[in-house]
Amino acid sequence: MVVTDLRSNILKASQVPQPTSTDPKAMRRIIAEDPDWSLATVPLLKDLSTNHIVQNFENNPILKGLPPKDKLNVLEKIDTQIPLCVTSHLVDDESYWKRCCKSKWQICDVSTYGGSWKRMFFERHLETLLENFIPEQTNEATIEEAIPLCARYVKRLNIKQLLPPVKDAAKEDTISDLGSDAGSEAPSMDHFEFGTVMEKLPHLEEFRITYGVRDCGMNFEWSLFQFTQRDCLLLAKSIKSCKQLKCICIHKSKVDDSKVRVLVSHFLDHPSLTEVDFSHNCIGDRGARAMAKLINNKCPNLRKVNLCDNVIRGEGAKAIAFALTKNTKLQELNLRLNRMGDEGGQAICKVLLKNNTLKSINLASNDMTEPTAAVLSQVLQTNTGLTSVNLSGNRIGIDGGKQLQEGIESNKTVVELDLRLTEAGQESEYCINQVLRDNQEHAREIQESHTK
Amino acid sequence: MLHGSDDEDDAGPSVESADPEERIQARRLRIQKRIEQQKREAMGEDAVAKKETSDEMGKGKQQVEESRNRLQKLKSDGMELVTNVRVACDAREMQHRLQDAESKHTRIERLDAEAKTSSEKFEEISRRWSAAKMKEVPHDLHEMLLEQTKGCDTVIDEKNKLINELQLELKQKDDEYVKDLKKQSEDVDLMIERMEEQVKNLTKSYRDELLQIEESFIEERGQAMENNKNKWEGTMGQRGEREEEYLKSRFKRVDDHELQLDTLRTNDTEEYNMVKIKLETDVQILEQQLQQMKATYQLNQEKLEYNFQVLKKRDEENTITKSQQKRKITRLQDTLNSLRLKLAKQEKHFKEENQNLVDEYKRIADQHKELYKKMRHFSANDWKKFQDIWKMNEDEVRSLVDNVLKADETIHLQQLGLPWNVPDMPFLKSHGPLEVQTSDPRPTATSFAKEILAANEKAQKKSSDDLEVIEKPESRLSLGAVKKLLEVLCDEAGFLVEEKLNKLLQPLQSDERSLIKLDAIFKALNIETEDDVTKLSNFFSQHGKLVSKADATSEEESDNTTEDAEVLRISADAEGSSTSTEPEDFMHPNEILDVLKNFVQEHIKPAKEKPKSSVMDTLSGTANRDPSLDAAHWELMANVIDSNKLKMWDALSNALTKYHNVLTERANRIQETDSLRQQNAELRMLLHQYISSKVNQELEIPPTRILQLEYS
Repeated sequence: MVVTDLRSNILKASQVPQPTSTDPKAMRRIIAEDPDWSLATVPLLKDLSTNHIVQNFENNPILKGLPPKDKLNVLEKIDTQIPLCVTSHLVDDESYWKRCCKSKWQICDVSTYGGSWKRMFFERHLETLLENFIPEQTNEATIEEAIPLCARYVKRLNIKQLLPPVKDAAKEDTISDLGSDAGSEAPSMDHFEFGTVMEKLPHLEEFRITYGVRDCGMNFEWSLFQFTQRDCLLLAKSIKSCKQLKCICIHKSKVDDSKVRVLVSHFLDHPSLTEVDFSHNCIGDRGARAMAKLINNKCPNLRKVNLCDNVIRGEGAKAIAFALTKNTKLQELNLRLNRMGDEGGQAICKVLLKNNTLKSINLASNDMTEPTAAVLSQVLQTNTGLTSVNLSGNRIGIDGGKQLQEGIESNKTVVELDLRLTEAGQESEYCINQVLRDNQEHAREIQESHTK
Repeated sequence: MLHGSDDEDDAGPSVESADPEERIQARRLRIQKRIEQQKREAMGEDAVAKKETSDEMGKGKQQVEESRNRLQKLKSDGMELVTNVRVACDAREMQHRLQDAESKHTRIERLDAEAKTSSEKFEEISRRWSAAKMKEVPHDLHEMLLEQTKGCDTVIDEKNKLINELQLELKQKDDEYVKDLKKQSEDVDLMIERMEEQVKNLTKSYRDELLQIEESFIEERGQAMENNKNKWEGTMGQRGEREEEYLKSRFKRVDDHELQLDTLRTNDTEEYNMVKIKLETDVQILEQQLQQMKATYQLNQEKLEYNFQVLKKRDEENTITKSQQKRKITRLQDTLNSLRLKLAKQEKHFKEENQNLVDEYKRIADQHKELYKKMRHFSANDWKKFQDIWKMNEDEVRSLVDNVLKADETIHLQQLGLPWNVPDMPFLKSHGPLEVQTSDPRPTATSFAKEILAANEKAQKKSSDDLEVIEKPESRLSLGAVKKLLEVLCDEAGFLVEEKLNKLLQPLQSDERSLIKLDAIFKALNIETEDDVTKLSNFFSQHGKLVSKADATSEEESDNTTEDAEVLRISADAEGSSTSTEPEDFMHPNEILDVLKNFVQEHIKPAKEKPKSSVMDTLSGTANRDPSLDAAHWELMANVIDSNKLKMWDALSNALTKYHNVLTERANRIQETDSLRQQNAELRMLLHQYISSKVNQELEIPPTRILQLEYS
């Protein structure tokens, strides 16, 4: 083979010397600097056939019958743009899906998707489809087609925006600064209905959603951020029917008291729900009372509740505190950036004297002062379950800092106690940090001994 | 997130680098570092746990701990730095909200107030409308209207003012919103910046710490190496010294050993020579012996061969005999089997026979019973017969005696003409057989013993008088000896007495005690009668003397007992001999037991015989009868005529017989002649008959002719 090739090369060279002279490379028999240059120009039949398969993969996907080596070969070569209906169930190879992801998105952190590129691809694919869905405008068939392809691989949906329906596209596209009134007048602002989608996703465990538009910037308009009653009801129903769901997160969606009540009434006795996140909404005391009902052992597996950045006041905090007296499951509670004040803070802290299951509590920026710190110091003395406390942004003052210092000195479990912007006084902060460091060391040792 | 990036950016050469070599190197380094980190963690933690107690922490470990602490601090500081933005934002937001709430509150108040005033004004205006209707003067009305419009304008102005204010506020808010957006983006930028900075710092510090840790480890390793090297060198030096010492001592020892070896060698050579000579002679001797042995061996071999042959032959024979024996065994087995069969048969047969015999025995027993009955019957009959006969005989004898006496009287009176005296004959008065003595003539052994024991000289005589005549000499002979014997017996044969009896006897007097003891002993020895006692004493006396006196003993044995008739006869002679056997010296007490044994053995037989005779006695009523007396009785009767008379009678009879003879001869002769005469007459008659009979004519040769011939 080689000899004949050489000869042919020579012949070629000899036959047409003139045209090749323009390209000095062609004149040479051996091109040393080109590592790919080879005299074996006749490709193998196998390679040819694989190439053919690769070229016609879209129309005639042959993969199952191939030997593993060739399979890899084919998977390495097939185009990432091949329609999903061909590849989604056929190809399991991660490298192919990695290529797909990389080609589609710049930033790909596979670790957040359980190390599965395929899952990542399909989740993100579905997310983009849903995020770009405009009711009454986009064809619903696109999503209906996509769902059976994705359903098997989707475990989490993190929908960062939901577009509202628009009467005229031009208005939607170029929202003027002054047209703020227009949105509110729109008769129907219902968003995409999740009922059908959720039903068809058997492995869905985590669902995050924002009823709002992302990156609106200066195109802000209230109508972009409307979470209607119907939306709420449909979402709640679909969540209720989705029994395998573990984590639900509805944030930045202007969820108010009545909506929370609707949602919670549907969440009650949900078998697998472990995490509820209603952060960045406008839940008031009534909504907090509804949440308290959810916390109060009505949800068998609830571990984590996030209510940060709402407008819960003292009353709501008291309701949550009362729920905590009964609860023996909840481990994390985030009440950051509410307006509980000392009334609510004291109520919550007093509960912690009895409740030993709660591990982490966030009371940052809650307009609390010294009295709460006094109660918390008692909590720190007696409670053995608490490991993390966040009090940042509360003006507890120097006296409160001292009380906390006293409280924490006999504590062995608390690892974190955030006292930034609390004006607690440097001295007590330093002492508390010392204790915390000791506790951290202690916890680390315990963990090490456990791992051993 | 920070941690993740730390791991990524630890290495010097970047993974993202364009150069593949560098990438490979980076990956390798990364893997290595991860492994190292894992190891370090494991080891470091171990060390922390261990060396906190031992206080001697390795430098590397120390460095690791330090680095860890430093990094921890750095991380938490970084975290704080980054989150500070958020916290500040939160705080600001809170403040902002509070302000918002306040402003909202004021705004609402203001709005309320404005609404109130405006509504008041509106009411006033509307009130004035009614007043206006009242007015009929157009000018007034116009004025009124102007006023109204003025009032309305003021209200509208106020409203507009408020609206403007609110719009201003809104604008302000919008501005604020823009500002907030800007601020937020700034914050986000700041956060990103800080994050990046943190990442950079952390990677740098991680790298630094890693380097430091490595260095410290290297240092530690170097130290450890040095330590070990020092130790090694020290131990090596020691080893060298020791080896030198050892070598020296070895050389010394070698020299010593060489010297010893030399001496040993010389000694050994001498010894060797000696031994060699000796051994050579030995060898010669042994060779000779060997020759001899060979010869004997050959001989033995031949012998053995011969023996072997013989044995072979024998073996063959044995095999033959064995086979024969086997055959025999089989044959015998067969016979054994047949015999077994036979035996079984025989057994069966004998069983049957036995059964038959048993049956027969039963029959015989029955017969015996029958016989016994018969016998009793017969004995009674016999007795009766006997008595009858006796009476008859007696009567006969008495008549005879009477006849004799009468004859005697007649002889005396008629023939001799002598006076005749009637002899005294008391026995003639008795009738029937002689009365048998009912009381046992022999007293019991115990009573006898009692007597003996109680006896003194006087008692002896008394007792002897009481006893029958024949016993007298006997008892006199052995009384003293018997007494002694009994005493000895009482002492020696105490074992025959029951223990209970001994206890009971203790309170009694010695005589009584011994007596009762003797009673028990006699019972045990089966001695019942006085005769037995005497027998015993005689037996003892025999043994006490010597065997030479066997005659005496045999006589002693025999008394006047009814058992042996022969002994009775000899008893007369015994009197003399037994008197001589009276000597007081008695046998030794130790021998008594042997003698007693012998006595018992001999005594058993008669004891056994006794029941038989007793049975017979009981059977026949004549058991206790004394035939000897009968004989005497009869003799007395027979001797009614004494010898003189008899002689006289004999002589008389002789004379008479002679006379008688003569007379008889005469008578006979007369008879003879009478008979002969008769014969003759008969014969004549017969002859005449024969001759005259017709038969003679019928016969060819008639007897008459023969007679004639004969006569002729």
